[in-house]
Amino acid sequence: MNEQQKLMRSIQIQNFILQETALFLDSHPYCRQALRYYQKHRRMREELVEMYEARYGQLTIYGGTASGSWHWVTEPFPWEV
Amino acid sequence: MWIYEKTLQYPVKIRKPDPAMAKLIITQLGGPDGQLGASMRYLNQRFSMPYREVVGMLTDIGTEELAHMEMIGAIVTQLTRNLSVEEIKKSGFDAYFTDHTAGVYPVSAAGVPFDVKYIGVKGDAIADLNEDLAADAAHVQEQPSQGHAVRPSGCFP
Repeated sequence: MNEQQKLMRSIQIQNFILQETALFLDSHPYCRQALRYYQKHRRMREELVEMYEARYGQLTIYGGTASGSWHWVTEPFPWEV
Repeated sequence: MWIYEKTLQYPVKIRKPDPAMAKLIITQLGGPDGQLGASMRYLNQRFSMPYREVVGMLTDIGTEELAHMEMIGAIVTQLTRNLSVEEIKKSGFDAYFTDHTAGVYPVSAAGVPFDVKYIGVKGDAIADLNEDLAADAAHVQEQPSQGHAVRPSGCFP
């Protein structure tokens, strides 16, 4: 795996953690332990996404983009590997 | 409102094309127990669900099903890249190819186009949640049968 793929994998891991924690919080909206866990991983994901977007281009159309071009279309879509 | 994130929920990287497998796997997109039906079921049931916890869950699960649709699309696309005419004929992918070439069209394994009749929305919490349980059970039941069918090629251990 190259650096970009490694960073992407880390984001996918954080996404999975947040997705599953969100489902738990949907039925346990006042669970303080789960809320803390969610916040911790939300911050971790935020840092990784910021790093990824600065280097390789935006992950959403609202994301920061690396300069030079509209990376949304000049960089590959995720199934093009 | 939805925001697309340019990632797959789980990486898909298939090097060896296998159109016969694509023909089976595509039912996870447009078949009676596929992801398209799942996402439409959950996302549309939300509006009449009287419990906010359940609305939240239907929203998040329905959204996740959209990401599953994308993974199936990625799998089917990668399984049908750079096929020769002979491969298309030999694999039994020729019928699908005649109608859709290697485009990703939501159909069942038997080639039946997606039908919204696969899902139920009654506006009644008990009826809708039972529909969800039945749909999930059907999905869980389908995966091993499909896994058995595709395992010989070694892609789905």
